[in-house]
Amino acid sequence: MAATLVIVDDEPDLLDLLKLILTEKTDHKVLTTSNPHQAIEWCKSYKADLLISDLRMPEMEGIELLKIVKQIDPNLPLILITAYGTIESAVEAMRHKAFDYITKPFKKEQILMTVDKALKWRQSQLGT
Amino acid sequence: MKIFDIFKRKKAPAGEDLFKKKYQSFKKLLDANNDALEIMSRLETVSEGDFVFDMQYIRARSEAILGKCREIIEELNILGNNRYAALIPIYEDIRAKIQHEVAGKSAQTREAIVLPLSQVDRRLLLEVGGKNANLGEIKNHLHLPTPEGFVLTAEAYRRVLAENRLDQRVAAFFQEVDTGNLEDLTDKSQIIREQILQAEIPPRLKEEIGQQYHQLAQTLGYEPRLALRSSGLYEDQAFSFAGQFLTKLNVSLEHLFPGYLEVLASQFSPRALVYLAEKGLAHREMAMSVGCLAMVPARASGVLFTEDPTGSRAGVMVMEAAWGLGPTVVEGTLVPDRYLLAKDQEVSVLEQHLSPKPFRLAAAASGEGLTKETIPDLEHQQPALTQEELVLLGRYALQLEEYFGEPQDIEFAVDDQGRVAILQSRPLTISQPQPQALPAALLQDHPLLIDQGTIACFGVAAGPVFVIHQDEDLVRFPEGAVLVARYTSARYGAVMHKAKAMVVDIGSATSHLAILAREFKVPALVDTEIATQVLEPGQEITVDADHQRVYQGRVAELLQATARKQPLLTEMPIYATLRRVQRWITPLHLTDPKLSDFTPSSCKTLHDITRFAHQMAIAEMFELGEQARQEEAYMVRLKTTIPLNLYLIDLGGGIRNGYSGKFVSPDDIASVPMRALWKGISHPEVSWAGPIAISAKGLYSVVSRSLTASAPQQGDFWLRTLALVSKNYLNYSSRLGYHFATIDAFVSEVRNDNYLSFRFKGGAADEFRRALRARFLGGILARLDFDTEITGDLVVARLGKYPQALMEEKLDLLGRLMACARQRDMVMGDEKVVDWYVQAFLEGNYRFVGEPR
Repeated sequence: MAATLVIVDDEPDLLDLLKLILTEKTDHKVLTTSNPHQAIEWCKSYKADLLISDLRMPEMEGIELLKIVKQIDPNLPLILITAYGTIESAVEAMRHKAFDYITKPFKKEQILMTVDKALKWRQSQLGT
Repeated sequence: MKIFDIFKRKKAPAGEDLFKKKYQSFKKLLDANNDALEIMSRLETVSEGDFVFDMQYIRARSEAILGKCREIIEELNILGNNRYAALIPIYEDIRAKIQHEVAGKSAQTREAIVLPLSQVDRRLLLEVGGKNANLGEIKNHLHLPTPEGFVLTAEAYRRVLAENRLDQRVAAFFQEVDTGNLEDLTDKSQIIREQILQAEIPPRLKEEIGQQYHQLAQTLGYEPRLALRSSGLYEDQAFSFAGQFLTKLNVSLEHLFPGYLEVLASQFSPRALVYLAEKGLAHREMAMSVGCLAMVPARASGVLFTEDPTGSRAGVMVMEAAWGLGPTVVEGTLVPDRYLLAKDQEVSVLEQHLSPKPFRLAAAASGEGLTKETIPDLEHQQPALTQEELVLLGRYALQLEEYFGEPQDIEFAVDDQGRVAILQSRPLTISQPQPQALPAALLQDHPLLIDQGTIACFGVAAGPVFVIHQDEDLVRFPEGAVLVARYTSARYGAVMHKAKAMVVDIGSATSHLAILAREFKVPALVDTEIATQVLEPGQEITVDADHQRVYQGRVAELLQATARKQPLLTEMPIYATLRRVQRWITPLHLTDPKLSDFTPSSCKTLHDITRFAHQMAIAEMFELGEQARQEEAYMVRLKTTIPLNLYLIDLGGGIRNGYSGKFVSPDDIASVPMRALWKGISHPEVSWAGPIAISAKGLYSVVSRSLTASAPQQGDFWLRTLALVSKNYLNYSSRLGYHFATIDAFVSEVRNDNYLSFRFKGGAADEFRRALRARFLGGILARLDFDTEITGDLVVARLGKYPQALMEEKLDLLGRLMACARQRDMVMGDEKVVDWYVQAFLEGNYRFVGEPR
């Protein structure tokens, strides 16, 4: 199933790599942005199936973003990208019902697997 | 001082603290070294591909490894009483280079909208773009001649967009546009370009540009015409963007603002957008910086590649040049002079192919832009560059390659006075021949259509011919066709991602289109002269670029797996950044401590520093062992029946429960390496009893040496043996009669820290017999996997990074070997018997039962 994925990170390099991996290995529509407000907008307008976000962004913390998108769509899974040494914040994010977190640097198989799991979870939540 | 007087003193002198302090430094150095090596290995793994990471990761890891190296240097200098202070400036230099690569934007530069070129370098990469950043490096750090000028930053672009309310439109454009549909793309990009061309330049920008131009005119002493060179933020890094953005030449101050807008608009040209999309960069911020450089009144210009871009010849540089300004060469509108330069210090000219160059591009004397001027017949064939200019350019090119750390693609100009200016330098994409090159034999069943040309990109591919006569044809270019054209126009790059292969009449392997072909891995031939004449539109052909041939039809035997690959992760800009940073971290130049260049000044990377420091730290610990021999106040003696006179100095945790008396028993040893060694020394099969049987000849040898060399003191055959111990460390120095053996070992659970170094020297017998013993020891040590070196009667053996259990086993065997070797030279009078003894030891026959007599 082709899903719509929104990825937000203030590091364009990370967006480059994720976009390349996800468009090469899946049929998903992948929207990438450095702007968390844009990401929220897209989650609404494109009815995104998955949001992947950096935990720490200058404009908005990942947890704050999580709270906002959960209000828009409680069944939208969010995968957080964390840096080494920010595990505590990641655990905090899990408490706020992030779907999963993944620590940089990670292998491409890891993100593909996590995306797959998240989309399956969404399907089960929506009962489709 | 007599030997046993030492125990009369109870209190430890200052020396003990010194030992402990030095040992602690040594341990810290090992820990830091271990961490540094781990970071290096991790970076190497990540850089091989398949990993997702960002600048933050590179910065954090670089900082971490720099911190570890600083610690290593500090500890080494404590160990060596500042003998290694020379490492500090080398470290600082490497640190500056790494930080130069990973520098983030500072608030100050984020705000700058116009900067003189003299203030630009790679640290401003994301504000001035790749091309300007590199040019700034060349001018300000490498000090090679470049044009004077100033740079309009990405911030200037942002302000133009914002103040004309274009930023939202541009964002919308990127969401709407379908780069896969060239027609749709052409229409939509046309609209956005027109909007940009009509934009107003913000007043502050106008003012700052005016000031910079005025300053430039003052520096030069005249009001220059300018070259406006686009510098995309990601250009000339991992991606060339060769010829994708506009360069405007000969622009007056009056036309500077519209010219600037034209360059900005060029990043929305269909070909640039397709390139961006194909490279997976479409979501990137599309900001563009523009370099405004004083025009060089070029008598000749050209390009220089510091490697053969087609990978055909090693050790050469390829240069092309023509009369007048540069576009004739890079656009491939005529066949330029072509030179091959040797890549050595002299930069000799190996080959020179002169072509007729009937016209040149020059700055229009009146008005803007360029004019095409006819060259008098007699001058067509004249070389565009003199020998001196060729050599000078070659030397600059070598400097550029060394500075940027990879092969470079350089554009240059030379004026009437022979003054050279470097216009740009960027990484060179090289096409490599297929690993299993096909035989050059002609294929009988397929008519050969073309049998000439220059390889622009290796490979074999087939498809229907599509001839491009004009830009409008590009829209109709079908997926999987072979691009056939008269010239190598960079505009054709818009369809490179769709092309199976490319065949062009005129143009060179250094043209922008050829660079794009290599980047997209499209097999390509240029300079075939006849492609557009002999190839029919729609005709199925097979291009064998490797052999400069084009066949009619699909030649199955030539076609290999030609499926177009997505760009690899390793081709993305972040990987390029990591590779650039790694240049100062991972390569190891210092490999052999025995070589004379094993010095601080030979350290070029952090790896070199760690290697050097580690080696020197071990040497320092040896030295410390030697010093300890002189300090006799705080040793304890090992209680044992083995006649060793073994004394221990505990550096911390080496002896169980501390010690108070003069003696400790072997069971009190807590030091991991010492326990292992002791296990071997006290092995039940090893004999330490009495003097061993000596043949008459052997005895004579000992006696004669005693007459010529100074004998061991005190008339006592056994002198004391000293061991500095800690929980994981051992420095053991022993004199066994005339022999002198030292062991330096560190054994812990951290495999990477573990090492064992053994040295055996001296002996009572004559030189020949001592050499035999060295062979005996060396033979065994090599069989036990030690890295062994024998010089005369000196045996040096090392090993390291084994797991703890294996390290202990080696020390155990070393203990047994020392016992067996103590006087073995006396009985070995014959080279042939050495092998017997080696074998006997390895078989566990430590008493050498059945030894040959």
